[in-house]
Amino acid sequence: MSFLARIFLILLPVLIFIFYGKVLLIDDKKSNDYFEPKEFPVFQLNNFDGIPTNLDIISGVKLLNVWASWCITCLVEHPFLSKLAESQIEIIGLNYKDDKTKALDWLKRHGNPYTSLIYDPRGDLAFDLGVTGAPETFLIVDQKIVGHIQGELNEDKWKSTFLPIIQNSQKELN
Amino acid sequence: MIGEIAHFFSLSAALLLIITLLLNTIFFFSNPNSNQLILSIRLFNQSCWLIFVSFGLYIYLAITDDFSISYIASHSNSQLPIFYKIASIWSAHEGSMFLWIVFLALWSSLFINGLDKNNPLKKLTLIMLILVILGFLLFLLITSNPFSRILPFGVMDGADINPILQDPALAIHPPILYLGYVGFVISFSYVMAYLCKGNFKIEWEEDIRAWSFVAWIFLTVGITLGSWWAYYELGWGGYWFWDPVENVALLPWLAATAFMHSLYASSKSNILKTWTLFLGIMIFSLSLFGAFIVRSGIIDSVHSFANDPQRGLYLLGFSGLMTLLSLVIFAYRIPAINSSKPVITGSKESFLSMNNILMVTSIFSIFLGVTYPLILESFSGEKVSIGPPYYNTIFAPLILIASILIMISVDSLWQRKMLARKFFRSIIPTFILVTSIIYIFWSLIKEFSLLAYIGIFSGLIILVAYFIKIISSLKAKEYINKGSAFAHIGLGILFLSISVNSLLSYQKNINLSVGESLRINESIESFKFSNLNVRTASNHDVISANVFVLMDGVSVNLNPEKRKYSTRGQITSETAIHATPFKDIYLNIGDQLEDGSWTFSLKINYFVKWIWLSSALMVLGMVLAMQKRKI
Repeated sequence: MSFLARIFLILLPVLIFIFYGKVLLIDDKKSNDYFEPKEFPVFQLNNFDGIPTNLDIISGVKLLNVWASWCITCLVEHPFLSKLAESQIEIIGLNYKDDKTKALDWLKRHGNPYTSLIYDPRGDLAFDLGVTGAPETFLIVDQKIVGHIQGELNEDKWKSTFLPIIQNSQKELN
Repeated sequence: MIGEIAHFFSLSAALLLIITLLLNTIFFFSNPNSNQLILSIRLFNQSCWLIFVSFGLYIYLAITDDFSISYIASHSNSQLPIFYKIASIWSAHEGSMFLWIVFLALWSSLFINGLDKNNPLKKLTLIMLILVILGFLLFLLITSNPFSRILPFGVMDGADINPILQDPALAIHPPILYLGYVGFVISFSYVMAYLCKGNFKIEWEEDIRAWSFVAWIFLTVGITLGSWWAYYELGWGGYWFWDPVENVALLPWLAATAFMHSLYASSKSNILKTWTLFLGIMIFSLSLFGAFIVRSGIIDSVHSFANDPQRGLYLLGFSGLMTLLSLVIFAYRIPAINSSKPVITGSKESFLSMNNILMVTSIFSIFLGVTYPLILESFSGEKVSIGPPYYNTIFAPLILIASILIMISVDSLWQRKMLARKFFRSIIPTFILVTSIIYIFWSLIKEFSLLAYIGIFSGLIILVAYFIKIISSLKAKEYINKGSAFAHIGLGILFLSISVNSLLSYQKNINLSVGESLRINESIESFKFSNLNVRTASNHDVISANVFVLMDGVSVNLNPEKRKYSTRGQITSETAIHATPFKDIYLNIGDQLEDGSWTFSLKINYFVKWIWLSSALMVLGMVLAMQKRKI
């Protein structure tokens, strides 16, 4: 085997690994840094008391959290949501494909971090939002969806994804 | 508490391995026969035991439904049978990584303790093994800890294992596949030890032959099980989808197959040594690369685990480091090893080396297929997916060349030129026979596809060549290598059955109401949807259709189902399959339409049983070859 062939043998994998590393890092940035703002879809659903809710409850800076009593991860993120609620962040709970009594029971047992609730037993609004499962959380500023997290919302994701967007939008307001 | 003990044991294992590694670095130049080696091996064995016990405790936690462990809470459920509670451990990333490490430790400790204590490569092999285990163990503990708890309180019940994974074939598919993947750590470490040692008079091939055979068998069985599961559980009617993760399992398999061939040659007559060493490195590097692809989530696939760049970077770094390190050592040492005997054209080893080139070509083609979409996306932002058309087109000519070489090599001898007389005596009848079989086949079915006919031709020439060889050697009472014959006949059947399957199989979408029946074609005279049952099983609701199909004069009752699982709300489709030796009726029920009728997808798949048979024959061939001693 010639010297060049030996160099090539080593260089080829080096290039491959560098390439994959680059792709990995780019992918990471893409998913975190930029989110195309979308209008919040129009909907007509009731809350648990049977009172109709609509776009009016979505104003200012709000989180919309998709949850269900059958969802284990929702229970995992529940303490963090409660912490957010304590720090005056308004969270709308979108109850997704759930049973009303089970959902109410769940809130009673674990505590209610939500300022308002939307009951979506068939997943109509969830469908319009493009929800694939629970939990998912949307960040909404002035009826525009500006952030979306699939899966558990935790301290890390809050700090890395939602908090910068909120700070930016507040800067723009000022 | 038990969770913490298990965690502690794993941590101690990692610590012990680090200590052993440091000890070996400090005493690097000392005599390998001194007590230091004995001590290292003892420490190594103890850390392996710590890993085993830790995993045993983890199984106990899964069986006893400890849902405060977040991994168990998200992948198991109290309603599951014990078998699936255990299997749920390897149904996702963290647990399967843990299993992977357990198998690494198992193979390594069995191998290192079985080596002769005066073996000059023992110490270096041990260091390589420790490096690999440590790399994965730290990956597990740092980036994907399976022991982490849901604090401050656990959950009442687990989220359940994904229903499509609740299947015996799938529950045993990962462990067997991992045993195969990981098994090649032995040949890798031994090859690396040999290269590092620099004493090229050492005969190392025999020591790892049996181990590599066993690993190859596990890998083959693992891949076949996965393919079998996909066939009857996913309901897409296929057995291989060229999914990125299937591809990365095929990469080490191809490298391993080439390695087995060349190991056979170099252990027999000291030829193709460089190839064997190179392929030994390749198998393990490709396994590592596969682990990276699957676990970084860089490519979307049915298999890929959640996307986590930290894991991806760690694995990329680790596999990159191991691969580069070994290739640099290989490239540095190679001029000194390049002294093996020359390869004579027309001899058995010349065909083996051509086979190696073909295997490496196919590895590179698959690698390109996996990587190309990423290259395109990073340069132009365009998303493409590379599927069966690419792989079929690439593989048809490769298979054709490989088959012709196999056909010719049936009569070749080690280190001897092939006699022209012999060459023509075997090849001409094979060609005539195969061409006439294909002509008859074509005139019967009147269907044509170039790729499929290339495959059929390739399969047949292997089968016919071996058929002639077996008959002539039985007549002349000559020696025949049974292992090789079985394995290659298996390969011939594989090419043949895949091609016939792709040529003849067809699909019909049917739309029927309860009580109606339909004539489909000459073969399927009636398709009757007699009734629909709804029932409730332990953790899911079932809609089951009762269908009678009259095919070739035989009436068959089929019950395709749709299931809705209560815990996850997931809907799965249970395919009804009626398998006959040559064709399968493969029926899925779809959705109900507005007029109340139901959709069905009926597939007639040809020669599927023969695909499984071919894999069984290859494994059998390997088992026979393994038993054969060096002459």
